[in-house]
Amino acid sequence: MNVSRRTFNKLIAGAGLAAPFHIIRPASAQEPKKGDELVVGIWGGAQEKIVREHVEKPLVEKYGCKISYVLGGTGDRRARAYAERGRPSFDVLYLNIFESRQAVKDGVTQAPTPAVKNFEALYPSARKGGYGVAFNPCTIVYDKTKASKPITSWKDMWNPEWKGRIAWPDGLGAEGISALMMAARVWGGDEKNADIAFEKVKELKPFAAIQGSQAQLFEMFDQKLADLSVEFGSFTQSYVETRNPNIAIAKPVEGQALSMNVACITEGTKNQKLAEEWINLHLSEPCMLAYARQIYYSPTVSNITVPDDIKSKLVLGDADVAKLVDFDWDVINASRAKWQAKYDREIAG
Amino acid sequence: MNRWIGPALAAPVTLWLLLSFAAPMFVVLVLSLHEYPDPFGPLFITPSIAQFRDIVSDGFYFGVVSETILLGLGVTVITALLGYPLAHWLARMPVKYRAAAFAVILIPLLTNVVVRSLGIILLLAPEGLINSVTGLIGIPPARYMLFTHGAVAVALAQVFLPFMVLALYDNLQNTSPRVHEAAQSLGASPAVRFLTVDLPLSLPGLRSGAVIVFLMATTAYVSASLLGGKKVWTTGMLVLQEAIKNLNAPLAAALAIIMTVTGLAFAALCAYLLNRLMPWLKGKPSNPWSIPRWIVPVINILGPIVSKLLLAASLLLLLLPLVLVCIQSFNDVPQATASGFRGFTLKWYEAVFFAGTYADAFWVSVRLAVTSMLVALALSLPAAFALARYPFKGRSALLTFWLLPMSLPHVAIGVGMLRLLQIYLIIPPFLGLVAIHVIVILPFAITLLTTSVMGLDRAQEEAAASLGASPVRRFFLIIMPGLAPGLFAAGIVGFLLSFGEVTVTSFLTTARLTTLPVRIYSESTFSLEPTAHAISAVLIVFTVIALVLVGRVVRLDRLYAR
Repeated sequence: MNVSRRTFNKLIAGAGLAAPFHIIRPASAQEPKKGDELVVGIWGGAQEKIVREHVEKPLVEKYGCKISYVLGGTGDRRARAYAERGRPSFDVLYLNIFESRQAVKDGVTQAPTPAVKNFEALYPSARKGGYGVAFNPCTIVYDKTKASKPITSWKDMWNPEWKGRIAWPDGLGAEGISALMMAARVWGGDEKNADIAFEKVKELKPFAAIQGSQAQLFEMFDQKLADLSVEFGSFTQSYVETRNPNIAIAKPVEGQALSMNVACITEGTKNQKLAEEWINLHLSEPCMLAYARQIYYSPTVSNITVPDDIKSKLVLGDADVAKLVDFDWDVINASRAKWQAKYDREIAG
Repeated sequence: MNRWIGPALAAPVTLWLLLSFAAPMFVVLVLSLHEYPDPFGPLFITPSIAQFRDIVSDGFYFGVVSETILLGLGVTVITALLGYPLAHWLARMPVKYRAAAFAVILIPLLTNVVVRSLGIILLLAPEGLINSVTGLIGIPPARYMLFTHGAVAVALAQVFLPFMVLALYDNLQNTSPRVHEAAQSLGASPAVRFLTVDLPLSLPGLRSGAVIVFLMATTAYVSASLLGGKKVWTTGMLVLQEAIKNLNAPLAAALAIIMTVTGLAFAALCAYLLNRLMPWLKGKPSNPWSIPRWIVPVINILGPIVSKLLLAASLLLLLLPLVLVCIQSFNDVPQATASGFRGFTLKWYEAVFFAGTYADAFWVSVRLAVTSMLVALALSLPAAFALARYPFKGRSALLTFWLLPMSLPHVAIGVGMLRLLQIYLIIPPFLGLVAIHVIVILPFAITLLTTSVMGLDRAQEEAAASLGASPVRRFFLIIMPGLAPGLFAAGIVGFLLSFGEVTVTSFLTTARLTTLPVRIYSESTFSLEPTAHAISAVLIVFTVIALVLVGRVVRLDRLYAR
């Protein structure tokens, strides 16, 4: 076959353009080998410690692999994973409920499959956008010594006694979205009519602070910088028991907001099987119970036995899970950019 | 033949900057002309001014840009106020103590910005040092010093004060003693002499210090994020939020362009106004600065007191945060930002040295810093010879280009580089990081090595040549030994600058390639244990040792001589 110089040049040019994409390979389920490295992007603190003990250790014992962690908030992780779509440096990425669903749509992470054995035991709401590993509902947390009466409704935040003492959540992360959506719900709006929430939240200004993380919020409580916020009840329970018994975790009549940590496997990972094993171990009883006991994260699988002494502090079973206030995440994801801009202008600062 | 030597020597550094600095800035410009964000779309599309139109028509952006400029001006004024007494103190320091005194400036300068910001948090927190001290004399605690514009201004002043001091010192130490004697013989007291002689003569230093501090302060985001607690917005934070959190690269790029243009415009204005106060630089006569007679006694009484207070404040501002970080590394508290000493512990050091949680990131930083430093030296050395020995047409313009990375927002370079790496998937992330770190080091390495080359004794080379030594032998046996102190100093400074860099690096790190400062910054925004302080304390000690080593071969006060 004769190939003209022009055709040859086109082929070379085509090959050159396509060259970078040779590394984008479909996920393969090859058996893990000794020395393989699994990169896990996860929150720091207690969560890192628990997975080191209950997931990393058995996985390393079984395969002789190496685990590397990237710690921090989900924003950085998500941005990196998006920048690396098709050539991920992460294998397993922990995201929150709405980020995980969007990442699957954007081709950054994989949808969950029964390849992870414990998939079958997941509650239905934990099978979307990845593998839900913990229910950790968001609610109002506050210093009860500063409250004239216990908080029983989301509307209680608008009680004038909290004016200037609220640390509102930063941006539209899990806590920020929960606070905003619950404000919408209790004041007559919803995901499709969020303006009412913005108007009501603006009424709460001035805020004592904008809290960027739960660790920062607990420090604010310790130092009396703020007395109320919206935060994960799970971690706050641990904080109450170890550091500050004055803090109360509200159980509003309107319900607590559904929030969930989700483990996601990146599209294009070279460690598919290892990543699936990792998540399976995370969903196993020892890890789920360690999460529940140490930081009151509620299990997302129904095939484990929870000790009686912590049952009352967790969300357990279909009925409990059904009580959590879920949102239309597709609408939220579609509105995020607009809401973030509105948040920056009207709530923060 | 000879006329090509200069351009040839200047070519490598120019080429490097074109690829790793001009290219990302060009990408930023192209991105800013995208109509809407598409993280996975092509780079070159039909240009649109939609982003700029949105920014200009939105009062929020105008407000943030204005606040950032005001913040930058405030920080510039604070650093000038605190910088003068410190620079004056350094310039009057006996030579044998001057190197040690310089360490006061250099240690904070070379300690990474995250650590210094954490130190400021420990200073301003409700149970922090300031409230603890004022509490001892019965003053009620000021609970809301953190998360304010003031807190951000203090943190930025701490970070950029060394640059102002170094710029002022250059001028103040070059003032001839005869000028001082003349002023004294005419009856000027030290305070009056400072106001009428030293101050006017130091205005060129103030001009360069003010420009660099203003540009750096208006583009910073790390300190603003940590100390502003998201209540204080700066343009750098907006760029970061749009680029990283909202994945809106076009808006981030457009904001970066506006930030660059406004920053440079204000810097030019600042330089223009100060130039008007220095007509003598253009050979024009100037009106002598005179002080009303009635105010002289006031100046004589208050001057020494105020200058001593400002000197103490500047020394405290520079060093206290570092001391607090070291103390916190032994503090048994649940998290890094918890102030108040609650008990002595070594567990954070145990975690650093034995648990190895920071080991990987530490070694990435070391490999990156060593590689970047070596590349920067290899590029700077020929450039220094081109500047010092082989003048050619356009040299000044080229030098301006070489020094530009120092004054343009690193956050903008980061946005561009991130996209470049996305496009050229094949470029290893490590190489991308080296490319950026080299441009951070280059301005310092070039100025330092140019000074060293200018200081070489040409007579030795001529003597060697007359004895028959070839150019290669002369280079290795005469020139290199003569340059060794300068190379060593540039190497150490380059290493430390790269090791502590976080602004651009945070855009480019990957899961397998995270540097130590980025990891600390990343954790500090979520949940950071005092382990970070332990490793920072170790790094501070490491910096001190490095400076002692540098000090043995070159006087520290010459490190930034221009």
